[in-house]
Amino acid sequence: MRREDKIAAEIREKLKEKIITVEVSRERRIFAYIKTEALKESIKFLKDMGFKHLSTITGVDVEDGIELIYHLALDGSIEFSLKLKVQKDDPRVPTITDIIPGAVLYEREVHDMFGVNFEGHPDLSPLILPEKWPRNIYPLRKKYALERLRNLIFKEEDIE
Amino acid sequence: MSYGSTIKVPFGPQHPALKEPEHFLFKIDGDIIVNVKPRIGYNHRGIEKAFERRTYIQNIYLAERICGICSDAHTTCYVQAIEDLLGVEAPPRARYIRVIVAELERIHSHSLWLGIAAHEIGFDTLFMHLWRDREAVMDILELISGNRVHYAMNTIGGVRRDIASETIPKIIGSLDFLEKRTKYYIKVLRSEPTVLKRTVDIGVLKPEDAVELCAVGPTLRASGVKNDVRRDDPYAAYDEIPFNIVTDDGCDVFSRILVRCGEILESINMIRYALDHMPSGMLRVRVPMVVKPGEAVSRVEAPRGELIHYVKSNGSTRPERYKVRSPTLANIPALCKMLIGQHVADIPIILAGIDPCFACMDRLVFVDVKTNKKKALDFESFRKIVRKRHELL
Repeated sequence: MRREDKIAAEIREKLKEKIITVEVSRERRIFAYIKTEALKESIKFLKDMGFKHLSTITGVDVEDGIELIYHLALDGSIEFSLKLKVQKDDPRVPTITDIIPGAVLYEREVHDMFGVNFEGHPDLSPLILPEKWPRNIYPLRKKYALERLRNLIFKEEDIE
Repeated sequence: MSYGSTIKVPFGPQHPALKEPEHFLFKIDGDIIVNVKPRIGYNHRGIEKAFERRTYIQNIYLAERICGICSDAHTTCYVQAIEDLLGVEAPPRARYIRVIVAELERIHSHSLWLGIAAHEIGFDTLFMHLWRDREAVMDILELISGNRVHYAMNTIGGVRRDIASETIPKIIGSLDFLEKRTKYYIKVLRSEPTVLKRTVDIGVLKPEDAVELCAVGPTLRASGVKNDVRRDDPYAAYDEIPFNIVTDDGCDVFSRILVRCGEILESINMIRYALDHMPSGMLRVRVPMVVKPGEAVSRVEAPRGELIHYVKSNGSTRPERYKVRSPTLANIPALCKMLIGQHVADIPIILAGIDPCFACMDRLVFVDVKTNKKKALDFESFRKIVRKRHELL
């Protein structure tokens, strides 16, 4: 049995009904879909298993919500992509900075770009977007097409 | 330490140590840094959004332009992600050429950084010598690819250019020169009091903090953690080429210098081995324009550390979502940790110590406006200007 399959089986056993799918896509790559409420529990479990390095957090705008993907690495080798979905209006998940302090900037980046609120994060002030960027405009969401964003920038009166 | 007497000192956005814009707000007590708040985004060009609008072929050129120093690392990572989605693999010769170009890029990037580090500590003579010798590797890159900065070697399914056998003696000659010079610099750096006084025990990052804060690359390895994507998650031909992972236990700026010097020597040996053992055969395989729905994670050891790209395809000729996380962003939390408790005068060298590349780090949203005219230059009008210019010529 490959190491990847073993990890997949272990996490399936641990999370039981809270896990939706686990798939080993190729050597050293695992993708798992979990229920939103199981985030902290899963991250803790993975960290104990040796997934100490958080490579990044990716946000994806899917039709019925925003997908968050936590990319975790085991000894720099096996990359585990833990996915979950949050609602589009008022998206919120608990922060994982208390478990993995290295997540601090990745969570801020997703907050800037997708408007996901990481509850309990020490500081969610803008990291990448300018201070004057209008509220509730999240550039990487699909509904904000390039043209719309471009026009936004020129109307100074809207910004202030 | 009393907090009542702290003052705030802004550092940047106009070149904080490097000639790139980034802002750090320091809280200092006397001469000691108590807290630091990074503010990135001044180089943000909206590349992730731009990826969604372009075809897979156009995106190779976009990926190349994420960074001017590690352009090859970004395209390698990009083409690997797409190859993973398509289920194709680059031919053996192409995989060796990818290694050679990647290692040449590492040598050029590390020499560039060593020069900057020398400049930051006020040792400009060393800086000029290092940059003069760096030209040797730039010449090899130009010889192989025709370009000094954007090599445009990678394409989906292989590489675009071969390394001709008649150029190999020239490459070997330059590598011998670089090896001799690097060994000399290591001797100089180890014994020169100016370097030792400014870098030993400066900007210490303990191994446990480095792991907790998810540091990557030479920054992590200089804290004694043996971690390298080339060995742990091999890509291209790295599983066939022997090499050592250079680490150092000093955890300070001096260790970061030694690790990068050691990596230059390792890279030189890897290129020699790769040139010797390069298999013959095709350079690329043909791939379809349309990519079936799916997702892939691709990782590369860029000169600055682990680089990760994520791609999601939707069955069309353009990606649904493309995510880039460059190594500099991963090292910022560790950088903030290193700076606390240090003297203000050491800020530039500690900042430069992680070899930051701010252009890589800030990608997503484009804000590209001619400030006085308040008009954006979109792709179409840009194309018009280019055409007009060509007509004039």
